[in-house]
Amino acid sequence: MILRWICEKCNKKWIYPVEKCAYCKGDIKKQIGTKIKVAGITKVSISSPMHPIIPYNILLLQDEHGNRLPKKTMKEYKIGDTYTEERAKTGNAVSTAKIKYDVYEAIKHSLELINFKVNKDEKILIKPSITTAAYSYQAVNTNPKTIDAIIKILLELGVPNTNILVAEQALIGSDATDACSKSGIMDICKKNNVQFSDISKGPFTDVEQDGIKLKVYSEAMNRLVINVPVMKTNFQLTISGCLENLTRLLAPESQRKLYQGDFDRGIAALSKITRKIINVGDASIGMQAQGPLTLGEPAFMSLMLASENAAIIDKAFCDIFMLPAPGYVLASSNGLSFDKTEYLGNDLESLKYSIKRAEPNETPHTDIKVIDFKGCPACLNMLNNVTSKLIGLRGEQITVIIGSHFSEETARGNRVVAFGDCAAKQLENLKIDIAKIDEKTEPIEQVLFMQKLLTTKGIPKITNVDKVKSKMKKLLSKVM
Amino acid sequence: MYISGVGMTKFGSQLESSQELIYEATMEALTDANKNLDDIDAVVVSSSETECNGERQRLFTGVMSSMLRKKVPIINPTAVCGGGGSALWAANKLDYKNILVVGVERILSKNSMKITDEIMMAAERMYEQTEGLVFPAQNALVAQQYMMKYGATTDDLALVAFKNHQNAYKNPKARFYKKEVTLKQIRKSPVVASPLRLFDCSLSVNGAAAAILTKEKTDIEIAGSSLYVDRIATFESADMTSWEATVLAANDAYKQAGITANDINIAEVHDAFTSVELISYEDLGFCKKGEAKKLIRNGHTNIDGKLPVNTSGGLKAKGHPICATGISQIYEITKQIHNQSNERQVPNIKYGLAQNIGGAGSTVAVHILKKVSS
Repeated sequence: MILRWICEKCNKKWIYPVEKCAYCKGDIKKQIGTKIKVAGITKVSISSPMHPIIPYNILLLQDEHGNRLPKKTMKEYKIGDTYTEERAKTGNAVSTAKIKYDVYEAIKHSLELINFKVNKDEKILIKPSITTAAYSYQAVNTNPKTIDAIIKILLELGVPNTNILVAEQALIGSDATDACSKSGIMDICKKNNVQFSDISKGPFTDVEQDGIKLKVYSEAMNRLVINVPVMKTNFQLTISGCLENLTRLLAPESQRKLYQGDFDRGIAALSKITRKIINVGDASIGMQAQGPLTLGEPAFMSLMLASENAAIIDKAFCDIFMLPAPGYVLASSNGLSFDKTEYLGNDLESLKYSIKRAEPNETPHTDIKVIDFKGCPACLNMLNNVTSKLIGLRGEQITVIIGSHFSEETARGNRVVAFGDCAAKQLENLKIDIAKIDEKTEPIEQVLFMQKLLTTKGIPKITNVDKVKSKMKKLLSKVM
Repeated sequence: MYISGVGMTKFGSQLESSQELIYEATMEALTDANKNLDDIDAVVVSSSETECNGERQRLFTGVMSSMLRKKVPIINPTAVCGGGGSALWAANKLDYKNILVVGVERILSKNSMKITDEIMMAAERMYEQTEGLVFPAQNALVAQQYMMKYGATTDDLALVAFKNHQNAYKNPKARFYKKEVTLKQIRKSPVVASPLRLFDCSLSVNGAAAAILTKEKTDIEIAGSSLYVDRIATFESADMTSWEATVLAANDAYKQAGITANDINIAEVHDAFTSVELISYEDLGFCKKGEAKKLIRNGHTNIDGKLPVNTSGGLKAKGHPICATGISQIYEITKQIHNQSNERQVPNIKYGLAQNIGGAGSTVAVHILKKVSS
């Protein structure tokens, strides 16, 4: 597909989206070329950071309107060849579409390639990723333009807006409505007269899948789920994509159990429970580095991915951005072989380049390391927020343990500190007295305690004097 | 306006900062003009302000003020590879008696992968960068269309490279000064983006160039100064084998000078790639469309030909320090008009032309310098 914006009155064309012709004030329509030939080819033998695998080919494509477009591919073509993009033959397929300034067209194209169809009377649940209150440019949450485009596509297919529900719950401890408003998605819902629901308020249905009991958002059991996560690196899970986004279809207590139990098995079971699912991986901006919150950064990937299978998208995302595919992704293919995945729209090799990874033991502070013993994301985020406040303060390295699956030997290690309620409870069970910071402690005190622990020589401790001092500082901060 | 002095650093891999490079080129230009900084009423500086060189220096107007200790109007047009020509065009429009125009670049500072990426930022982000259109690839697609349409060959491209290397061999300011490159080496060099080989591509180097423009009459008049900008992506043009911005700028500059292309005695052409030099012959009116191959085959543009092109060695072999390039072209023509080019001297020059391009045919400045009696 080659796209141009053309003035209906004077025929001027743009490669960028415009709404009115600034010459004749005429209306603009999209000119989409579909009969495409190869007009030129170059084989490139020099690498660059976004194109590290060489050699690759760039085709100069030309459509029936004379519009041209360069297209990178690893496949061999000849000048004069017809250029077409195949559609999915099986459910083991993932399509990718590069966004050329038009999110809607990219999503539409990626869905067409996987043969997406929907009945007009279908009830649909759009499940974006809105984990926390953050602006859309930060790429922590799904791009509101992506949600807008998906709603538009559904409406064009005849689905009434009353049949469409957008639902999400923020990370435990955050307010979904606040997060949805700040993300820009609430405005999209209002614009399209589509309802938004906070999943954490339920109702939930008890489901047992592969021996695992889950409390699942009831609407997800009854509707076609369009799973639309923002594709991100994640310090706990390597990536958070389609599979991770499904975890917030669970009741909060069920989510905790998932993280504290056998995550790989749990998420594999979760991926099977919805009646039907379509996944759209939103990498329009996407995130890299120590995501998602404190040190994650927008990666400007300009890509959309679509598949009927959540794991296939997550695996493709890992492959494209050269990240190791985590165990839970590999365990959740629902019987499909990753080796046989059809790549549509772009060949996988042509898309590959490295982004900054999330390192599991790193925190924003170089002297504070973390070991995750099945902590929940909310606890890890809290820790990263605390440690980010201390950047620049040097100390003696401490190792923070979170979650509850650690042994006595680990807890008695050199300069080990526990963080979070689960870790504190496990210390009680093990009858070990080491420094700990719980989740109920106010953020300002958490920072003060962490500062003390970092700068204490030898065994890090929080004394009663420290507790009094922190209370006074907290009070002072409120007065000031 | 007139040219009263020019200066430039050697183009190469030196470690000097942008500030030092600017100062060196400026000092030479001031000496050449027999002026000092007190005489300068305004400054136009061009730099890409690249990220990869570690300087992290965006406010080049302020840097220039600190460096030159001048509190005068300073402006900073930048059009990547066309920055120097754009700066000169802007300076020519300003109403000041003496204007210092400087172009500087410190691009050769990391591995080639990073530099390639830095330069690729001048390509269109969503259509070109995401599709791997590094600059050699952009120009390769254009070269291929040109060769298919007009029957030019890779041998013709090699002749352009060979000619420019021969000239650079004799230019002490060139990166390839006293470095012999044979036609066989050029033809055997690795393919970078088919049909372009390594020796079809210009060299990224560090350097600065400066010129002092004045209202006082000197022996070199800026008889024509034109700047036209076309679309960023080459594939948007109806005819990829001709860059319209060059045609428009050249015609405008000829008109200002009251001459035609036939009157030009020497030209510095933006040979970022050898194919661009051939296409430019046609767009500048040195020959008809499709006939550039004849000019290079019959030696018309050799240093001893009827119209010597890129006597400095061009971007190809003198080197291409992005925003400094356009002003270094003025340096070469000025030196030629002043009969100061030694082994490369072209006799009896009345009109010299400089064509400077930003992007793949996007931002084109054409300047015509005329020898006049002072």
